[in-house]
Amino acid sequence: MKLKKVKESKGAPLVKMEDIHKWYGKIHALKGMSFEVCPGEIVGLIGDNGAGKSTLIKILSGVLSKNRGKIYWKGEEVNVSSVKEARKLGIETVYQDQAVIGCLSVAQNIFMGRQPVKSWGPAKVLDKGKMRREAEKLARDLKLHIPSPNQEVRFCSGGEIQGVAISRAMYFKASLVILDEPTTALAVSGVQKVLSFITRLKSEVIASIFVTHNLHHVYSVADRFVVLSRGEKVADVKKEETSIEGLIELQLRKGVTVT
Amino acid sequence: MVGVERIKLALVDYMIWLIIAGAFIFFSCTIPRFLTFKNVLFILYVAAPLGLLVFGEAVCLLGGNMDLSLSENAGFTAMIVGVMLVDWAPWLPGWTGIILMALVGAGLGAVNGFFVGKVKLNPFLVTLSTFLIYNWMTYYLRRGAIIKMPGALLIPGGGRIGGVFIAIPILIGMAIFLYFILDHTRFGSHIRAIGGNSDAANMLGINVGNTHFWIFTIAGALAGVAGLLYTGYLKCIPSTIAEGDIFLAFAGAIIGGVSLRGGRGSAIGALGGVLLMGVINAGCTMTAMEPALRGVLNGFILLAAILINKTRANLRDRILMPK
Repeated sequence: MKLKKVKESKGAPLVKMEDIHKWYGKIHALKGMSFEVCPGEIVGLIGDNGAGKSTLIKILSGVLSKNRGKIYWKGEEVNVSSVKEARKLGIETVYQDQAVIGCLSVAQNIFMGRQPVKSWGPAKVLDKGKMRREAEKLARDLKLHIPSPNQEVRFCSGGEIQGVAISRAMYFKASLVILDEPTTALAVSGVQKVLSFITRLKSEVIASIFVTHNLHHVYSVADRFVVLSRGEKVADVKKEETSIEGLIELQLRKGVTVT
Repeated sequence: MVGVERIKLALVDYMIWLIIAGAFIFFSCTIPRFLTFKNVLFILYVAAPLGLLVFGEAVCLLGGNMDLSLSENAGFTAMIVGVMLVDWAPWLPGWTGIILMALVGAGLGAVNGFFVGKVKLNPFLVTLSTFLIYNWMTYYLRRGAIIKMPGALLIPGGGRIGGVFIAIPILIGMAIFLYFILDHTRFGSHIRAIGGNSDAANMLGINVGNTHFWIFTIAGALAGVAGLLYTGYLKCIPSTIAEGDIFLAFAGAIIGGVSLRGGRGSAIGALGGVLLMGVINAGCTMTAMEPALRGVLNGFILLAAILINKTRANLRDRILMPK
């Protein structure tokens, strides 16, 4: 199979992963993966279950550590060893199960882990007023129909929960948002909402990686597609160089991977 | 939210205080001399040692954990500090014992925290082990009781200032302090986040293991202070001190509306649980109810509290559910 090389777009890539290997015991989950994303680009990362999509993005978001390989952020080599560090760089992840805490409010969920504080003598006190105001603003921006930022997340619909997760990226000025199967658990209207979130991110020059095995959801928004199979990259094509049929074929042909 | 809904929600959220008021009014009407300033102070005073254990358990439960060893921690702490001041280091001034109680308690709690947070063992099993260890170590240190000890050690749990037992401001102050930590600091929000959904908390960059460690350490320090209050209340340190009170500590936290599933509940609610148990206990004592029956009654109160909390949660959901 031919690997189509993507021409270097203007400027350096935002993130570049080089020759990434990951073993789970004896299983070689990633076999020397190379991957890059340019600023403001929407990349569809597709492949069947077990292709290595989740492993790849977990390494990038600091949840897993790689066994070998290098990661460059804006041209500099970095060591993404924890979620905190990834967030510090500006990598925000919207997980499949959305990483929300049901019994806490929308505002608490958006800011969890990096809440604004104000000084109260020697003590640092949560600035709940600011969190509420900012959460309200974000909800308005993203057209989430949440009655109040004090609403507990367990009462939110799937689409609204996605919105909460995306609000984190918007508020903390991420430059790369990873969306792990963001549409899997959603109704049709929810899917539309997520797709509009993603185009919204692009308009603010925030790059995103859209991980999915549903090609139809990603096709309309992505600029480029990366197809994985059994821990290897089998295709890396721009949208104008391919068609949805072509991609489906690539995904199906994974049985005869390059050796 | 509409005004009526707000009031309904407040009624549901502060239901424990209505029940306390109800119980208090009931006993005031049926028992002469129940409604006196002195008696109210005495109820609070008696409730204080157990109250500190309830707070410790509440912190653990909020973080999605449990600590079975808290009461034995309190007893073992009291015994260690007692033996230290009497035998090992009699040259230590008595007041150092007050600080030592909190420190030793925190240390014993940190042992749990280490095994749960760092070694990632099951909290039930870890604290069951330390329950046994702390319980029998107390007997091993001293079979019988320490009766003579520096007077300073008895002041926090038994002394008074202007007629008010010092234990009472300790109990109430601690509830307010914990409310502040749990509801108004980042650390407190991390405890709730971990209790609510520890996987999500981990993905949001919260160090779950570290937070667990500190949860158990704080609960241990509270148990140490409880040991201090038990010592002052009993005026001695018997080897049975605080033994088995963990069950009442659990009951108090649950009665106060702290959820076993983690994340939900408050320090002020836990204080309510302590007070309700205190009021009912005092009422039963003053009517000269048989002690065994009083124990039975505690069980029924807990059962009732679980039922009430369940309906309370349903009511709350119905009010909060977006229309």
